[in-house]
Amino acid sequence: MSVAAPKSSFTAGLVTALPIALGYFPIAFSFGVAATRAGLSGLEAFGLSLIIYAGAAQFLALALITGGAPVLVSAFTLVAMNIRHVLYGPALIKRVGPDARTRHAWAWAFGLTDEVFGAALGALARGRVAFSEAFMFGLGLAAYGSWLAGTALGAYAGGAALQGYPVVDAALGFMLPALFLALLLSILSRLQLPVIAVAMAATVAVTLAWSGTAGILAGMIAGAVSGLLIRRGDAG
Amino acid sequence: MRAEILTLALIVGACTWAFRFFPTKADLSGIKPDGILARFLASTGPAAIATLFVASVLPMVQGGVPVPLVLGTLAVVLAYGALRSVVVATLAGSVAYGLAVWLL
Repeated sequence: MSVAAPKSSFTAGLVTALPIALGYFPIAFSFGVAATRAGLSGLEAFGLSLIIYAGAAQFLALALITGGAPVLVSAFTLVAMNIRHVLYGPALIKRVGPDARTRHAWAWAFGLTDEVFGAALGALARGRVAFSEAFMFGLGLAAYGSWLAGTALGAYAGGAALQGYPVVDAALGFMLPALFLALLLSILSRLQLPVIAVAMAATVAVTLAWSGTAGILAGMIAGAVSGLLIRRGDAG
Repeated sequence: MRAEILTLALIVGACTWAFRFFPTKADLSGIKPDGILARFLASTGPAAIATLFVASVLPMVQGGVPVPLVLGTLAVVLAYGALRSVVVATLAGSVAYGLAVWLL
């Protein structure tokens, strides 16, 4: 019996991105609908997805824009929310090892979202794919294309699109948590359970005590720092 | 497109790109496999995704845990456990959540 070598092509990236693309489309559709409901034009909604390309930050941007927050205050809040992305590149490159090429990272790293990072890490951990820049391009492009298409369709449908369909609206609203949970399950290991517990507890505590953005930063940092206490032999 | 929205998008988009790109150029060759930085980076993924899951769920649990959330979460766990597919688990959770909202 032969063991297939892990794939690392552009196509393998597209295939790996399928769950993300399927998950992104309805979430981006919801964003397009929410944006036009908040008074943005279709072009403005699409522009946010095209330029920012960070789902949670885009939804928060809607709240800040409609709340009348000054541009610089809004920008600072959203930038702070996205600081977590600095951890993804090194974590991914470290997982790949010395073979990791980053010559064109200026382009593919644009698409290194939470879900793309999670999917890449999960696929690499399961041994289904090997890292390559072509793979990362495929992964990133499929996810980005789905995000843009979903936003465009949602913006075109307009703010009232889901008002007559509260069940669909609710189901779409749970798509993002469901995607995060599924990604978490895909990279779950006994060794990392304490990290996950600490991250979750810190997120809840700081969110309740301060704010959602602070909670996200606190959860990620506390969880990652708690990983320092783990050694390879600990989980048996 | 209004100038303030374009300005906001460009500032946040440029910073987000910088956060995603520049750290990929960090020199990791000197990191020991079981060293402090290696363990920190290995924990980053699970910590980040666990955090984002909790952050996305927290607004739904104010005033108690709603039944649709419990059923949606269970559906994700069961579907992933059965089929090991992120997409099936995501869609199953979303459908279960929507059905629970509809039926309850």
